[in-house]
Amino acid sequence: MIDAYKGISPKGDLVLLRKFGKVFANKTFLHVNSTREGGGVAEILHQMVPILKGLGIDARWDVIRGDGEFFSITKKIHNALQGNEEHFTERMWAHHFEVNRENAGKLDLEADAVLIHDPQPAPLINFRKKGVWIWRCHIDVSNPRLDVWNSLRKYCSQYDAAVFSVAKFARSMRVDEFIIPPSIDPVSEKNRELSPEEISETAKKFNIPLDRPILLQVSRFDRFKDPIGVIKAYRMVKKYNDCILILAGSLATDDPEGEAVLAEVREYAADDPDVFILLLPNFSDKDINALQRMATVVLQKSIKEGFGLTVSEAMWKEKPVLGGAVGGIPIQIMHGITGFLVHSPEGTAFRVRQLLNNPDMAKRMGERGKEYVRANFLITRQVRDYLSIWYAAEHKGSSVLDL
Amino acid sequence: MNGIFEFKQCVIIIKSTGKKAKNLREFRDALAVVSEGSLFHHTYQYLLKGHILEYTNDFSQWAGAGLEESALSEQLSNIDPYDFGATEALRIELLKVVDDYLEGFPEPRDAMPGDEFFFNETITLVFQAGVWVRNLAEFLMAIKYIDASSLYYHFFDARRRFEGKSNDFSQWFDEELGKKDLAEKLRFIDPFMHNLEGIRARIAAAVEETVQQDLESAGAAT
Repeated sequence: MIDAYKGISPKGDLVLLRKFGKVFANKTFLHVNSTREGGGVAEILHQMVPILKGLGIDARWDVIRGDGEFFSITKKIHNALQGNEEHFTERMWAHHFEVNRENAGKLDLEADAVLIHDPQPAPLINFRKKGVWIWRCHIDVSNPRLDVWNSLRKYCSQYDAAVFSVAKFARSMRVDEFIIPPSIDPVSEKNRELSPEEISETAKKFNIPLDRPILLQVSRFDRFKDPIGVIKAYRMVKKYNDCILILAGSLATDDPEGEAVLAEVREYAADDPDVFILLLPNFSDKDINALQRMATVVLQKSIKEGFGLTVSEAMWKEKPVLGGAVGGIPIQIMHGITGFLVHSPEGTAFRVRQLLNNPDMAKRMGERGKEYVRANFLITRQVRDYLSIWYAAEHKGSSVLDL
Repeated sequence: MNGIFEFKQCVIIIKSTGKKAKNLREFRDALAVVSEGSLFHHTYQYLLKGHILEYTNDFSQWAGAGLEESALSEQLSNIDPYDFGATEALRIELLKVVDDYLEGFPEPRDAMPGDEFFFNETITLVFQAGVWVRNLAEFLMAIKYIDASSLYYHFFDARRRFEGKSNDFSQWFDEELGKKDLAEKLRFIDPFMHNLEGIRARIAAAVEETVQQDLESAGAAT
């Protein structure tokens, strides 16, 4: 499995992964989250577990089960951790714990290292048997509802370590807190190399002309992704440079506002034949890959963002990327080197014009972007980091470890 | 070394200290008490992270890009951490620059939410890269292909072991191969004016030149 990344991932990461394979040979590494399908966590686990197994580590992935009430509570926890007002009762927290207690009875929690993803299964720490336990928080908890955070922290502070995606997403706790950004898989359907035929197949499917520069934003139809701002920027560019705009995305099942946003976007785009609004079904990875590869400039003009991995996806395809300076986007875009950080439709339009009129600069930024992603945002780096934390937890007390 | 140079490389895992600053006064207060490991990470380890070369450490980058205080950023960029034998001496110099700025300039604005300075520290894992060389020609082959973190470990991190005056490569050229000129040439590469790939290119060029000179001298002797 790890051989699939040879010639793609940094050599040093592969050397270290193989060393960890020997250090942790036949040791058990359990991941637990709350869903097998859908969402970024499940996507990364589908890719990561086979890599760990390929290294000789006995990796397992289990999912906790719960009733409708449990998932309604955990959805509220998720929203409250991101700052939304939610009402909680003692009974809700008791149910959250009870469902975890039932799961603990069914799951095999005996492992040398256990990585618990997000708040849903966090109480499993109370049923720890042995090994290193790490809580992985994929959510921005920088400004949570404090009552909810304090209730959850009872569990999180019992772990050996916690992991956040970005330093600014973290909260001060009494355990070691590591910063590990998420990653993309370069050999997955969404990111693998495509032939020119595969790219034109997608263009044909959506009737996209390939005779002009293409501006692309791939994201859910969500106001925080500012699709209206993207259309405004496109119109400003269009005064000077002929181009087309593609807004490609899906409707998240847990977002009741999606339909309304999509309708707004369609109305705002009016009947401009050069604006393509593509509502993609789940599992459109190959089409997304092709759209990113046919684009001239990729946008991620969010006004609020989690990590925004679509930025790294586009950079991996050697595209200059313009992104809102929010969430994890500034960590991925080196301003002026691999793309530009923008703060308004006007700024976005200006940078798009700069790139369309300087193809050499766009090419240079794209090339640098790919190398930056190679060094920092591939899945092999993320696996390497998790195993490093496991190793560090077993060798506490020193900041320099010889392997 | 027994004549052999064995390449090592390193990986850093970032740990949050839980401390952050939204303005220069909070930054100054945190800078005074934050762990030595955090100072080390934000200065010495800056070049390992593949940043742009407008700045030379995380503090100057935040002053420039986060607070938009160009004069402070220039002052902080000009601090060479290798000039200080102990991290505490580096802390005193950083504090002096910030204090002078707070005294002589108008109060800077707060950073935008999300742009605060987050003090981190690291755990460093060091391991053998599985590459070793016995002579300059083999070294030339290896230096072109080894991982960038290996360059960091032997060229930058090593400077701390030699009080800012040398690096592992120069030591090996000098002590094991008797190549004093080449060793000196590498010692005079400005570590802050190139990224790791730029350093790689300069080392390779200097070694290649020496290998060619050696070949020419060997040819002339036969």
